[in-house]
Amino acid sequence: MQKFFSSRKLVIVVICLIVSFGLMSLSVAIRDKRNTPPLVQQFGNDIVGFADRIVATPMNGIHHGFVSTKNLLNTYQENQRLKSKVDQLTQTQVKDQVLSRENKQLKRQLNVGNTLTGYEKINAAVITRTPSSWASQVIINKGQASGIKKDMPVIAGPGLIGTVAEVNKTNSKVVLISNTAENSNRFAIQVLGDNSKVVNGIITSYDSAANRIIMGNITSNAKLSVGNRVTTSGLGGVIPKGIYVGTVSKVTQDDYGLAKKVYIKPAANLNDIEVVSVAIRD
Amino acid sequence: MKRKIPIAVYFVIGQFIAFFFDGSISQTMSGILFKYPNAMVPYLTVLWLILAAFFGNGKKLHLYTWAAVIGFIFDMYYTGLLGVYVFIFPLVVYLCQLVYQSLPPNFMSGFLVYFLGITVLVSLGYMANVFIGETDSSVAQFLVNTLAPTLALNLVLLTIVYFPVEALYRTHRQ
Repeated sequence: MQKFFSSRKLVIVVICLIVSFGLMSLSVAIRDKRNTPPLVQQFGNDIVGFADRIVATPMNGIHHGFVSTKNLLNTYQENQRLKSKVDQLTQTQVKDQVLSRENKQLKRQLNVGNTLTGYEKINAAVITRTPSSWASQVIINKGQASGIKKDMPVIAGPGLIGTVAEVNKTNSKVVLISNTAENSNRFAIQVLGDNSKVVNGIITSYDSAANRIIMGNITSNAKLSVGNRVTTSGLGGVIPKGIYVGTVSKVTQDDYGLAKKVYIKPAANLNDIEVVSVAIRD
Repeated sequence: MKRKIPIAVYFVIGQFIAFFFDGSISQTMSGILFKYPNAMVPYLTVLWLILAAFFGNGKKLHLYTWAAVIGFIFDMYYTGLLGVYVFIFPLVVYLCQLVYQSLPPNFMSGFLVYFLGITVLVSLGYMANVFIGETDSSVAQFLVNTLAPTLALNLVLLTIVYFPVEALYRTHRQ
């Protein structure tokens, strides 16, 4: 026993373990409580971020070239399909314009200021992705300097992909909705069910085997069916209302048979993100 | 006569390039690497460190210091969770060096040692993430969906990089 503890290596290992656990708990505490990481960490991240752009920009350029070529090969089929949708789209757009103007006028008349739906977008490019199977994170090239704050929702292509988790001066980390961490991604969302009944809830977990977002603890009796659209509800926090999340793919009972559990197919492809926009509520 | 660039310079520059490549490869090939439900994670940073431990002079290169430094930057920049890889990287390098020295120096023993190194690395990383509640995947899921694909990817990368890096260190040994 005496010899065991007098070993210098063992002491080093124990000290390393203690420091490691201490640092981990500290960074989790900071992530949960504070809006920005400590200044030293921010500074370091900004410098590394700048250096990363030297490597990341050509790599992303090459990737972009490949994607463009792939798209070119699919152009004909896609064109056919899109042509049929264009007429429909113009009609919807015009209607949308008229409705939003009407909405504005009515709001003015009623003296209602900004509601939950209003938001502006900041566009950003993805620099890199965390090489880890646990933290589904990407790093984008805009930060505090551009007005980004923690917990803001991030949109790519058709819908929501995640929230801002850490903000530095010139770059920030975005946690994707495919992250399975216990303390991330508690979005308030709503499902527009049949008979236009709205069901409110929050995202409770993510099924990584099937790529489905799970919305749990729903006690409402409104009937939901496959294909119903899911959007953010704007309740609680900085996320505006009306950001498209995905469509309902399965509705089941939870483990105890008391509440409903809804599986949602995310609208955005979480594994092919080049450009994102961060939504800032008015 | 032209002055030779010391191997330490190559080592440090290569280290940072490998570090940034990890992220860039994950980003550009995310469709293939992170296809549900599997996750293949490239660890070029560790590959570079371990190859330096195999062929280079660990003391002259300040290998452990650099492993800790790059581990710290990895934690800070990529995961935002301090205190994980800053200790795991030097530990893995130490273990690999220890085992490699007791084996005949050829590609097969390098392959074997790297296999063990990546297993230790990914497993310790998993344990740290379970500890702080970053993941809820079970051990079985971890073995099948993360460890196995990651090992496969990294062993392929090792096979590609092994001989060029060995040649680089050999030319600088004379």
